[in-house]
Amino acid sequence: MKKTLLGNYAASWGAQLSRAQVISAYPITPQTLIVEKLSEIVADGKLDAKFIKVESEHSAMSGCIGASATGARAYTATSSQGLALMHEMLHWAALARLPIVMTNVNRAMAPGWSIWADQNDSLSQRDTGWMQIYASSSQDILDSTILAYKVSEKLLLPTFITFDAFFLSHTLEVVDMPPIEDVDKFLPPYNPEYKLDVNDPRSFGALTSEEHYYEFRYKMQKAMEDAIPVIKEAGREYEKLTGRYYDLIHPYRCEDADLVLVTSGTIAETTNVAVDELRKEGKKVGNLKIRIIRPYPKEDILRVIQKCKKIAVIDRNISCGYHGIFAQELKSALYNEKEIPVWGYIIGLGGRDVKIEDIKNIADETLKNDTPRDLIWKGVKL
Amino acid sequence: MKLTIPEREIMQPGHLACQGCGGSLAMRYALKVFGKDTILTIPACCWSVIDGPFPYTAVGVPLFHTAFETAAIMASGIKAGLDIQGKTSTNVIAWAGDGGTFDIGIASLSGAAERNDDITYICYDNEAYMNCLSLDSLIMTKNGLKKITEVKLGEEVYAYNQKTGELTLKKCIGIFDNGVKKVFEVNTLHHTIKATSNHPFLVLKRNGRGKKSYFVWKELKDLMEDNEIVVLKKLMPGKGFKFNPIKLSKKGDYKVNKINEIEIPEASSENLMELLGLYVGDGWVRPQKAEVGFALPKNSKGSEKLISLYKEVFNQNLVQKDESYIYVYSVNLAKFIDSLGFEKGAKNKIIPAWVFTLPEHEKEAFVRGLMLSDGYKFKNSNRYVSASYDLLRTLRLLLQTIGYQVGKIHQQTKKKGTLCVYRQLLEDSTYGYISFSKKKKPNISKYLSQLKQRDFLADNEYFSTEKVTSIKFIKEEPTLDLRVEGEHNFIADGIVVHNTGIQRSSATPHGAWTTTTPVKHYKKGRKKNIVEIMAAHRVPYTATASVGYPEDFIKKLKKAKETRGFKFLHVLAPCPTGWKSDPKYTVKLAKLAVQTDVFPLYEVEDGIHYRQTIKVKERKLVTEYFKYQGRFKHLKEEEVEFIQKKIDEDYKILLKKFQ
Repeated sequence: MKKTLLGNYAASWGAQLSRAQVISAYPITPQTLIVEKLSEIVADGKLDAKFIKVESEHSAMSGCIGASATGARAYTATSSQGLALMHEMLHWAALARLPIVMTNVNRAMAPGWSIWADQNDSLSQRDTGWMQIYASSSQDILDSTILAYKVSEKLLLPTFITFDAFFLSHTLEVVDMPPIEDVDKFLPPYNPEYKLDVNDPRSFGALTSEEHYYEFRYKMQKAMEDAIPVIKEAGREYEKLTGRYYDLIHPYRCEDADLVLVTSGTIAETTNVAVDELRKEGKKVGNLKIRIIRPYPKEDILRVIQKCKKIAVIDRNISCGYHGIFAQELKSALYNEKEIPVWGYIIGLGGRDVKIEDIKNIADETLKNDTPRDLIWKGVKL
Repeated sequence: MKLTIPEREIMQPGHLACQGCGGSLAMRYALKVFGKDTILTIPACCWSVIDGPFPYTAVGVPLFHTAFETAAIMASGIKAGLDIQGKTSTNVIAWAGDGGTFDIGIASLSGAAERNDDITYICYDNEAYMNCLSLDSLIMTKNGLKKITEVKLGEEVYAYNQKTGELTLKKCIGIFDNGVKKVFEVNTLHHTIKATSNHPFLVLKRNGRGKKSYFVWKELKDLMEDNEIVVLKKLMPGKGFKFNPIKLSKKGDYKVNKINEIEIPEASSENLMELLGLYVGDGWVRPQKAEVGFALPKNSKGSEKLISLYKEVFNQNLVQKDESYIYVYSVNLAKFIDSLGFEKGAKNKIIPAWVFTLPEHEKEAFVRGLMLSDGYKFKNSNRYVSASYDLLRTLRLLLQTIGYQVGKIHQQTKKKGTLCVYRQLLEDSTYGYISFSKKKKPNISKYLSQLKQRDFLADNEYFSTEKVTSIKFIKEEPTLDLRVEGEHNFIADGIVVHNTGIQRSSATPHGAWTTTTPVKHYKKGRKKNIVEIMAAHRVPYTATASVGYPEDFIKKLKKAKETRGFKFLHVLAPCPTGWKSDPKYTVKLAKLAVQTDVFPLYEVEDGIHYRQTIKVKERKLVTEYFKYQGRFKHLKEEEVEFIQKKIDEDYKILLKKFQ
């Protein structure tokens, strides 16, 4: 069934179709609509779930952890400041191996107060052990939520789906909603082996000496490594159901490209259009959309870019003191593997618009240049 | 007799609680009531450790460890997860210490209370505080003068009997490492001590004619120059010391081809002590070379005396072959001397503890020996020189115990080549000297009142008072303190000091907090009244409880279990470690807190119906509660009075609320 949905509502629908059982959330612009909608749905009885109206995002994640630990499917949503506030509990959820799914709206970190698109918030959480999906359309958001539960519950690692504030959260798009019966077939109820169960009393998360902690981390990493085939397998299964396939990367016209642009989020969708235009101009440019950065799809990326001559990474973020984060990660993937010059571009921080012309401009600049640079700021008004 | 406390045990033994832990007692009662259909969540607090490390657990029910500030919300999340799965009968308990409840955890606590989530939150409340002496303080123990770091638990130390003014022996019942603190030096004419600003000294309060003078405990920071403090004058007469038998080598042992058959004395004697005095000044020992040596020139007074003493003690003839040194080669003698504890090296020698337990004549002999080596007469007094500061400190205290008055330790540097006693210095050396002379026995009967002007305790055999000459800040250093039973004071560096417990307490005994990662901090104000805060949230049920009143606690636990919505219990759980109390008094203290109205037992329904659940029949004063706790020991009388007043006021206010 097709509907026009705001990105935020696509997220709510995702949670609803996934039959989330406990929602523990705190409002923050521009995510507010997600939880408001869910609260409404639960109150109306359309979704059989418990809604905990927590007093902070830290508690939002804690509530999810408690619920997930009992074997319930937990969900929450947040953005920038809220995501930062729950940072401690993000570590907790991942180390506790709880398959919580969260929606994050990529919003700039304060101060100055900015409610607009910027990826620094989600990228600051790279080391917590969460799988990270960068959605670029409302359809993507809805489908990714369902896929995330499937994959998380198999691997026992939490996932968050993140997408650009306002450009996606508050934009209407056409979304094809799979019927709930299909989703139920794809996503059975959550049934973990270990949970808080009075018939099998155990302690979780006790004092752990150096004798055991190391192995816990090892197992976590192993789970992340196993995630890559699991994600693809789930993607294929979902494709059979809906006709839509989701992978860790989505290359567009990269097979014969001289220059590959590496993008994520809404910029990726804009870049697809830019690539078509550049091609018409005779330039052999391709777009590599990175959808999942944790686990990092190193092998997939290497396969796609193996024949290209130049790479330009477009980051809507920056790790101050170094350079764009997607650029950093890409370079480290190439090291010891392939020698291809990489240009790093910064654009659109704090919600500044990124137009098709901007992308074409980046492509032209890279094609003309021979010396790669790590950090090129686009459109600085100083 | 009707048993109101369920017999079944849910919690198992083998957990890691301290002896006498109130918190473990509280958990045991709680689990007895709630039973197996319970899930616990515990944030960072003692119980994070008490339950045992991975892979062990003691509670017997599912337990989810959680982050410090999240106890309440974690319980809410667990409850929601269980409810949605239809497991609605399971009790969910958030079990937290006071930090995770009052401070960092208050936001999530308030959220859960406001939502009226169907969980039980039990806060087990233990409170703690501290204060201290420098690590090189020398304590007068039954076994002699020891460094504070060497005092053993249970060892008897000398103390000042505050009622009779007598010297008494009391057991040390606690040794506390109080971390790095700012340390100050207090000097009197004959004594020096290093302590923290809140360490109490016994100060004389002189009142005019017709009024009684008396002693009060004053903290270092309130001490002023010319304040008269109580110091040790003399120790009780000692007995000869029996040496610990050492394993003697015999011919045939590894590397022992021939043996110098020497009779090692079993106990101390005057002659031996004089010989050891000489040894401290001029001798050395090299046990690996089986060598004992003395730096005494041939035919000098010292060398002749040594030879004669040696004959008396060991029944052997010493022969001096070298011009400047006498050597004795005997593996057993070397072992013996080495075992006595004088340490090695000119800069490191000290007087070991056991010398302080000797009878006066043996101590005098020791001093004679010392004087023969590095001492000399200077005008009307004696002087002893040494490169070892610690030796001078301990000697000063030793001399004071046998009736000498000793001046302060003077330090000086002498350049290389200077003639020092018998020989020239090989390099620049810093050393000190002390002057001492026998105290004249004052005519107490005739001039007592005049004598008392100078020394209030002139007629006291063991103690005197001395004026404080200076107080200055030294530096920040690690500190320790002792807890002494009974008198709660001991003698450090010759000065009578109070044992510790706390410093600036708050207006009420409730004040601060410890967590599993001991972050010790203290407050001057009242602690938050958490039950009132919960009542303000209009939660269905909230109550105070004490492990000293288990049946009352059980009743409240049962009520919590049967009530739907948010329940909060505040349980007083004494902590012997933090409260500096004897573990055997945990229940007693938990009772006294209630009997003194420090922790009244009551419950509140719907935030408005207050009911007192235990009416104290014989109300006791707060001093009775403080008596068993080291942490309140330093409180001044005025402070205790103030606290008593606050307790009385707060209780009056609470009384009005009861229906």
